Amino acid sequence: MKNKFQKIRAEFLEKLKTVSDVGGLRELELQYLSRKGELSSLMHELKDLSVDMKKELGALANNIKNELETTFNEVKDQLDKLSVKNALVDITVPGVEPVHGHLNPITIIQREMEDIFSSLGFTIFDGPELESDYFNFTALNIPPFHPARDMQDTFYVDSKNQDGDLDLVMRTHTSPVQIRAMRKLGAPLKVVVPGRCFRNEATDARHEHTFYQFEGLVVGENINFANLKSLLELVGKKLFGPNTKLRMRPKFYPFVEPGNNGEYTCFLCNGQGCRVCKNTGWLEIVGGGLVHPDVLRAGGLDPEKYSGLAFGFGLTRLAMLKYGVTDVRLFNSGDLKFLEQF
Amino acid sequence: MYISYNWLKDFVKLPSKVSPAEIAEALTAHTVEVEGLVSQANKFDKVVVAKVLEVKKHPNADRLRLTVVNVGDQKLNIVCGAPNVAVGQMVPVALSGALLPNGLEIKTSEIRGEKSEGMICAEDELGLGKNHEGIMVLGKNAKIGEPFAKYLKSDDIIFEVDNKSLSNRPDLLSHYGLARELAVIFDSRLKPYDKVIGKEILFPEAKDSKLNVAVENSELCPRYLAIRVENIKIAESPSWLKERLIAINQRPINNIVDLTNYVMFETGQPLHAFDALNIKKIVVKLSKQEPFETLDGKERLLSADDLVISDGSQTLAIAGVMGGKNSEVSEETTAIILEAANFRAATIRKTAQRLGLRTEASVRFEKSLDPNLTEDALKRFLALLKDICPDMKITGNLFDLGGRVKTENKLDLEFSWLFSKIGQELPKEQVLNILNKLGFQATKHKEMLSVVVPSWRATKDIRGREDLVEEILRIYGYDNVNSSLPAEKMTAPIINQERALERKIKDILYLKFALSEVYNYSFVGEEQLKKLNIDFFNHLKLANPLSEIHSMLRQSLVPGLASNIKNNQFRYDSLRFFEFGSVFFNAPGDFKKDNDSEAKIPYQEKHIGLVLAENSRDIFSELKSLVTGFFHELIPQNNEVIFSQLENFPGWAESRLAAKISIAGQELGLIAILNSSVEKNLNLKMKAGFAEISLDALNKVISDSDSFRFQETAKYPAVIRDIAFVVSEEILYNDIKKEISDFNPLIKSVELFDVYVGNKLAAHEKSLAFHINYQAPDRTLKSAEVDNLQTELVNHLISKFEAKLRDF
Repeated sequence: MKNKFQKIRAEFLEKLKTVSDVGGLRELELQYLSRKGELSSLMHELKDLSVDMKKELGALANNIKNELETTFNEVKDQLDKLSVKNALVDITVPGVEPVHGHLNPITIIQREMEDIFSSLGFTIFDGPELESDYFNFTALNIPPFHPARDMQDTFYVDSKNQDGDLDLVMRTHTSPVQIRAMRKLGAPLKVVVPGRCFRNEATDARHEHTFYQFEGLVVGENINFANLKSLLELVGKKLFGPNTKLRMRPKFYPFVEPGNNGEYTCFLCNGQGCRVCKNTGWLEIVGGGLVHPDVLRAGGLDPEKYSGLAFGFGLTRLAMLKYGVTDVRLFNSGDLKFLEQF
Repeated sequence: MYISYNWLKDFVKLPSKVSPAEIAEALTAHTVEVEGLVSQANKFDKVVVAKVLEVKKHPNADRLRLTVVNVGDQKLNIVCGAPNVAVGQMVPVALSGALLPNGLEIKTSEIRGEKSEGMICAEDELGLGKNHEGIMVLGKNAKIGEPFAKYLKSDDIIFEVDNKSLSNRPDLLSHYGLARELAVIFDSRLKPYDKVIGKEILFPEAKDSKLNVAVENSELCPRYLAIRVENIKIAESPSWLKERLIAINQRPINNIVDLTNYVMFETGQPLHAFDALNIKKIVVKLSKQEPFETLDGKERLLSADDLVISDGSQTLAIAGVMGGKNSEVSEETTAIILEAANFRAATIRKTAQRLGLRTEASVRFEKSLDPNLTEDALKRFLALLKDICPDMKITGNLFDLGGRVKTENKLDLEFSWLFSKIGQELPKEQVLNILNKLGFQATKHKEMLSVVVPSWRATKDIRGREDLVEEILRIYGYDNVNSSLPAEKMTAPIINQERALERKIKDILYLKFALSEVYNYSFVGEEQLKKLNIDFFNHLKLANPLSEIHSMLRQSLVPGLASNIKNNQFRYDSLRFFEFGSVFFNAPGDFKKDNDSEAKIPYQEKHIGLVLAENSRDIFSELKSLVTGFFHELIPQNNEVIFSQLENFPGWAESRLAAKISIAGQELGLIAILNSSVEKNLNLKMKAGFAEISLDALNKVISDSDSFRFQETAKYPAVIRDIAFVVSEEILYNDIKKEISDFNPLIKSVELFDVYVGNKLAAHEKSLAFHINYQAPDRTLKSAEVDNLQTELVNHLISKFEAKLRDF
């Protein structure tokens, strides 16, 4: 028995010397060291021996097993090192890419805007997309048969009130949420309202009946035009960089007085003039003004005590400008070839 | 709206160094956006006067002719299709390279095999009218080779003004109104309008024996001026008049019609001339339902809401919109009745809208015109008419129903209030100067500013003090205001939980589960819903949809997501999308319809919709894993996701593979696989599974999970025993699990670890295997105790579910 162990030891060590590759090593391991290898089989036979013999040979067997395994591992390490040294690893091969998801680019722009205003203490507010004619128009100082209704081609919902009028609309702007916010939160307040809006116009590369706005409203006891200007300047710098300038032009919106549009230095050409800004160096991006006293009243606030400023950005327009998207329909297309770029 | 620079110069003398571009910029900065600036000379670049030398038949086309024309420095061969071309005519020729106002670019080309080196133009091609009957034949004063612009004497410059932003300024739809603004902006003198009229018009005192005028609805017609004029000779307008109209893209018609238009574009007041033959009486009244032929030769159906001008027996004109064919001024006209009226804006707008007939007149009336403008316009017309028809004779008195309106619109405000709205002080003298130059009468009484509003601004535009803030600020210049951020008390912002949740949901879905976010339309169509087997009877519909495919409001995000799969399926092996959007129902919701009543607008809520589509995997179980994982991310506590039987399957769902989702007893939505018939209808080549979750319900579960508290970990060890048994496939996991959990209080948790269906079992059988976790709060459980419980449990399950212990 003892000799058998010694023989295995000698054989194994002899063969180990001649092994030159990982394959040979594996064969050797199977033959001698594995669970069903020669050494294990022999050790298995120990169980039939007397207690004393078991003790003696058991110790020997364990020593041999340890020795062989240690030597084996040393050789294996050397061979491994050699093979690593030899194989050239192309570290430029990419890893296996996990599956990605993508946000709609409008969401990305919306978040950018929300973050700017959240950091200024604004609440992000929300309102219904199917609105009443009252909130969408009348409460915003656009009474029935006011020509300003022309500015906004409207989708009406096919449901008439007692007077036989269509009085439900798909909201044409996020401004009705101004009234709902004032009614719910009172004054002072600072809210922004991102959201989906609708206009009844045929779609093509430049027109969409479904688009996204970003409305803002500040009401307080001393809100003035200089505040509005300052806030819009600040947003422009945050959005388009510290050298961005704002210029304001009078513009009529029934729900503000005075009313303005706002143009920012074209961020594509830094105001030098390019195709996108039609060589003016400016991009018209925002509209705003001081909240009309009728609108404050509709919001349940006393215009003698409070004043407000309001502004609205076109999120869709911002996204088109920022990413150079020339076909507005892509945002609502669900085309993965488009989405996966964001 | 087009505004002629030359015309403006009749009223205001601007500093000579100011260029038209600077005028456009100044108007944009202070008054209204000027969208374009066109010089007449550029408009006719490469268009010259030519003489027709030869006309021959085209060898290959009956209706075409070959011409040779002399353009001065050379002779050109031009193929011409006009029937009226003849040798000796002077004609406008567009040379190769010309870009015509109608967008046509002229190139030398071959027409039916014959070379053509330019084009002989018709009126409409040059933007000079609508006439396309034949080529334009020029007058005797035309010189061969001279630029066409020079022939037209068009040295004018045209400003294109954005109409849309003028809906509050009826006074600006006119040359005089814009001239007034320019006079303020450039601090120049504005010629008073009575000086523009020049002549004193004398109206006979004597009642006109040939005319009577009555207004039945003075509320709808606050002022009506009419006068009868004889000895009219209808003719072509004098060239100065035609030039002015052509410059602003109006087609000259005849002297009377042109003059009414001229005065309208100058003052903003529409005028109408009736042929006075057969008209003894003018009555302004509401119409009855009747057909009526308008000037444009179309028959319109009038309603009882329309205001009309009648002669007592028949309708002559739709008030403020368009005249009638029956009283049209024609070549035979010798006497006219001139109308200068003021109509109620809303009435005109309603009628114009209903008839789909928006005219230069209706556009002005619907903005609320100044009733006093009627007088100026009428006088201006008569003064000019005297020049054009020197023999004209006013036959009687001027009818003026309603009379001159005295404006009582006076506003008082404190300077301090004004400055608090601006955010800075302005010199008081400057404030007064701006207002007075704009036509207000502004005076200062210590700290008070007192302002009388001129009649042309008082109809709608200037109603309150705030309107004056804009007047002062826009002239002062928005860009000159010093900006300053609001000074306010610090307050903690109100966080909108729903919006915060929306962001979290999107992040989980796109970052963790690799779904891509789509935005689908809120509108769906009948055909689409039919294909999805969705009943659309109760869907809200649009009254004025753009198309049939977008005619109803969606009640689910599934139709949109299904088309996302369809549209992308050929370019990908596997697709996963989500949408976060509103759905709409035909039932009262939470939001109020107005401030005064309890009425509500229709119910609408936000849904989260997901779709997975692929062919090689078990979409249903993947969908369940995704939904479970999604809720675990969102609500890490107390949130076992339960899938249970749906009571009502959507028509698109495969009934075997559809389930309701709930957490903590709150129903949240559903998951389901599209059934094969819908798959076929939609032409889907992938297996698609959907989940749709209500944000409101989810929000509820989340706010309930706020009550979550940490629980002490158990002090005594748990004993885990496994159990595996075979039941009929009809027995549901949920029921078995409930039975086990409720069996004994010592059973702390139950975990399914294997489900087997296959050839080791009989048909319609399945095997389930559970880890069962026994634990007591106060002691270590003894092995025997657990063994007993487990045996009882097994027996219970065997009898309850006719289960068999699994023996393999």
